[in-house]
Amino acid sequence: MITRAATVERPRIGSGAAPILRFEGVCKRYGPLEALAGVTFQVNRGEVVCLIGPSGSGKSTLLRCANALESIDGGRVILDGVDVHDRRTDARKLRRRMGMVFQNFELFPHLTVLRNVAVGPTTVLGMSPPKAAERAMELLRKVGLAEKASQHPAALSGGQQQRVAIARALAMQPDVMLFDEPTSALDPETIGEVLSVMKRLADEGMTMVVVTHEMDFAKRVGSWIVVFDHGKVVEQGPPRQVFEEPTVQRTRDFLSHLGWHGESLAASDLLVHSPSNTP
Amino acid sequence: MGRRVAAPEDRTAMDVDISPLIENWQFILTGLGFTLSLSGLSIVLGVGIGLVCGVMRTYGGSLLDTAIGLYVDLLRSIPVLAILVWTYFAFPLVIGESLTPFSGGVLALGVHLGAYVTEVIRAGLTSIRPGQMRAALALGMSPLQAIRTIILPQALIRMLPPLGSLIVIAVKDSAIASVIAVPELLRQSQVLAGKTFRPFEIYTAAMLIYFLICYPTARTIDQIYRRFAPLGAS
Repeated sequence: MITRAATVERPRIGSGAAPILRFEGVCKRYGPLEALAGVTFQVNRGEVVCLIGPSGSGKSTLLRCANALESIDGGRVILDGVDVHDRRTDARKLRRRMGMVFQNFELFPHLTVLRNVAVGPTTVLGMSPPKAAERAMELLRKVGLAEKASQHPAALSGGQQQRVAIARALAMQPDVMLFDEPTSALDPETIGEVLSVMKRLADEGMTMVVVTHEMDFAKRVGSWIVVFDHGKVVEQGPPRQVFEEPTVQRTRDFLSHLGWHGESLAASDLLVHSPSNTP
Repeated sequence: MGRRVAAPEDRTAMDVDISPLIENWQFILTGLGFTLSLSGLSIVLGVGIGLVCGVMRTYGGSLLDTAIGLYVDLLRSIPVLAILVWTYFAFPLVIGESLTPFSGGVLALGVHLGAYVTEVIRAGLTSIRPGQMRAALALGMSPLQAIRTIILPQALIRMLPPLGSLIVIAVKDSAIASVIAVPELLRQSQVLAGKTFRPFEIYTAAMLIYFLICYPTARTIDQIYRRFAPLGAS
């Protein structure tokens, strides 16, 4: 406790301005199952908010509620001052501002890689095909897959497909990127390439909400961690607090279940060395 | 050359004479033209109905689902011959307007085919995993845009084999229109056989022509499917 008091916490990124995305007591039930039981937290501009917690704790459901792919049964989701689930809100317009990346990539198999990235701008924004192709090419270069532009998704590895999916979401020039377990369906050897694309995106200042089981990524790249359990937020805070000095037993249980203990965290050379742990 | 020649009157069935076919090739060709246009138009009508009804039944809510389900079950429970005869002889009484045999044939065969295509399209649409729709919606597409550009193309690729069989069946079913005197291939053959007393040659030729239309059609659709199948696998 003494060390913690001595640690000067940096203010939360973007905390001066209004949050870009806010969840206010969001509830969602599937029959008798309460998937979300009053979830409240906010995402500031430029933040990378990582949602962690056991499977089935409501993280992915929350992400789908964020861009109205799922309706909600209570509470509100506010994107930049607009109530996402209000009946007068045009959900399609709001979805354009939120890019989404799925666990199973969900690339469109009948379209080439280039068309996968360009189809959003041409169909939704009415952009001319050559201009959309130009933007798509630029984004494919950014994720390092320009040479795959004319192939179909089936010819790509899982990691490559997920990078294309990130480019597809970016093509709509969203304000927020939502990642739903983007590396959970990947072979271990291709996880890194996806995470590094995401890290680069974070470094460029993209606002991101990431549901992940990659604790290493959450610790290094995340600027705010939200811990879920049974449809509730049990703890939230900056990575150092959540991973090293969790205030809630449930968080400690979850982390130790994954094999993450305070000591092993500090010992791991993968992690940013934190001064508070220096002996 | 000293060999005994069978008396022609003993073997009338095997005495093949194709001269009536050669002399009346234009008559046969007219029949072929009607067969192709009748089946072609009924396929266009049937696939059109099937696309609209299949999409509406899948995405249009329970009311449309029930209504279209009724159409499908009704049409699939009645012999196509009965539908054809009813459309040509009874339906004009309902609308107070007579139909030509050809338009009656197109209507009956098209509406009948449409019921089967509806179910094939619906099966195709529901076989595309829901994540594809979510991904399309997440980009900001409207449900209609998502269906048109993302879901339906994949479904059509997957549904090519059953659609191909339905198309071939539609060509063959067009022969049923002979009962309402559409001058298509079978009808023309009947007329010609009656006039020339050469049923063996003429009906054999008709069968051969049906085969020569349907077999390449089936093979071509199969080839197209083989080529595009990987693109429909999400």
